[in-house]
Amino acid sequence: MRDVYLGGVGMTVFGKHLARRLRDLGREACLKAIEESRIHPKEIQAGYCANALGSAIQGETGVGQNVLWELGINKIPIINIENACASGSTALREGWMAIAGGFYDVVLVVGVEKAVMPKGTMLNVGAAELETKLGDVFPGYFALTAKKHMEVYGTTKEQLAQVSVKNHANGILNSYAQFRKEFTVEDVLNSPMIADPITLYSCCPNSDGAAAVILCSEKKAKELSLIPVKVAASVLTTGCYENGADITGWEVEKLAAKEAYDMASLGPEDLNVVEVHDAFTICEIIHYEDLGLCKSGEGGRFIEKGATDLGGLIPVNPSGGLLSKGHPVAASGIAQVVEIVWHLRGQAGKRQVENARIGLAQIMGGGKEGDTKACTVHILVKVQNTITLDCKDNI
Amino acid sequence: MNETSKKALEGKEKYAVVVEAGLFHYPLNRGEKPHLTGNRCNICDKRFFPKRTGCPYCFKDGDMEDVELDRYGIIYACTLVHIPSPSGIKAPYAYGYVDIPVDRIRVFGLFTGAEPSSFHAGQKVELVIEPIKTDKNGQEVIGYKFKPVENRH
Ligand SMILES: [Zn+2]
Repeated sequence: MRDVYLGGVGMTVFGKHLARRLRDLGREACLKAIEESRIHPKEIQAGYCANALGSAIQGETGVGQNVLWELGINKIPIINIENACASGSTALREGWMAIAGGFYDVVLVVGVEKAVMPKGTMLNVGAAELETKLGDVFPGYFALTAKKHMEVYGTTKEQLAQVSVKNHANGILNSYAQFRKEFTVEDVLNSPMIADPITLYSCCPNSDGAAAVILCSEKKAKELSLIPVKVAASVLTTGCYENGADITGWEVEKLAAKEAYDMASLGPEDLNVVEVHDAFTICEIIHYEDLGLCKSGEGGRFIEKGATDLGGLIPVNPSGGLLSKGHPVAASGIAQVVEIVWHLRGQAGKRQVENARIGLAQIMGGGKEGDTKACTVHILVKVQNTITLDCKDNI
Repeated sequence: MNETSKKALEGKEKYAVVVEAGLFHYPLNRGEKPHLTGNRCNICDKRFFPKRTGCPYCFKDGDMEDVELDRYGIIYACTLVHIPSPSGIKAPYAYGYVDIPVDRIRVFGLFTGAEPSSFHAGQKVELVIEPIKTDKNGQEVIGYKFKPVENRH
């Protein structure tokens, strides 16, 4: 298996882009990644495009071909990928495998979504499932998880709210974020109740946006004038669907984390910066535990003591997370990786984690039988002194 | 059959819309207690609700048998939802997971028969069959719910 490196990365501002089409948002993100790589679009040998809701909301399929033709990219293999919230990261893994397997030297991976709904309407996904027919809603499933975590581990609603407070504080420092507004614990707790204990400001918004990265082989990476960042692990797991399982954690995520740490020969203690899937506040607390940043049941107390703040023991979601940055479903997994790359290359501006060398991105998606359908973990490492750069200006 | 009884029958047929076919017997016969219909694998005895075509653990065709699940369960986790569901359930409503010890199975269900905010983990509940919502044609949709087990003091 060959090593895989990150080339250029890019994303659109996340938020409402009512007048723009999927192909237009996708084009912007791809163009930024291509331009930063200083390559010609014709050098790209394959394209992987993640989009989760286009067929349901816009009535658009084959989004990848639509996006890439905006950049004049044709004739090469283009693969469209859907894996719920893990669509983008699944596309990333497909691109990683293709380069690791020696098929290509340069591929483009893009995630694009338009999920902002008209006021008063909700995304009606999974309508064929019995739980949905019986009234199950996304915040409700995570409310059950939160209630159980509170019951079993003594996690408090204030600790849950602190996730939203932290991520919004980080989002203020990120010009790509959708909600750049400061919240207090009281603001979060006093916002309208959605499903006890999940309040409005405990939920991520629906968003429009796109994110893209260029992946390349070591040989190609040496030609780019970029600080080399290597994919040290790329893992995808599928739900266990075990009836009667403990819902205070996700077995599938623990499996993905273990596999990723083994692949990278690293452990949670080696990480400098982490991006996780904070669709709801409780999720981030459980991800701390499942990824081994703290012990099971300690997630609430972990955020309470500031361990995951910028400047804390292990900063989590410096980008603002889904809660503040926004959640254009299929773009989110790639945007997390874009954020990690910025930190490893020292390009994260005011929210830069100092001397970050190793970063992890986790996201999961889809609900089935009280479990999640897909979970990905990526570990990225800044490589020092192994690649001689043609252009040293960027170091 | 005269017009009046025909109309009454039509009315009754209209009433008999169920949320999903095969989940439970409906309408109930006189004196019949409501039950959820699941199925079990004859090889490993694992039970499933809703019913499955095959057992995912044994992966052998033709070894599934219908089974009526026990009516009594214990709430594993619950929440109170304050927004209407896209599927048409009016807020506020309570739901969660119910463990059915006899069948060693956990099912998802709506809660009824008490203040929606009063349900809690560990509470004993029993199955009822009742309307859960009104569909686009104005017809009541029949589903299953769990209500608190009445105290027999
Ligand atoms: Zn079996």
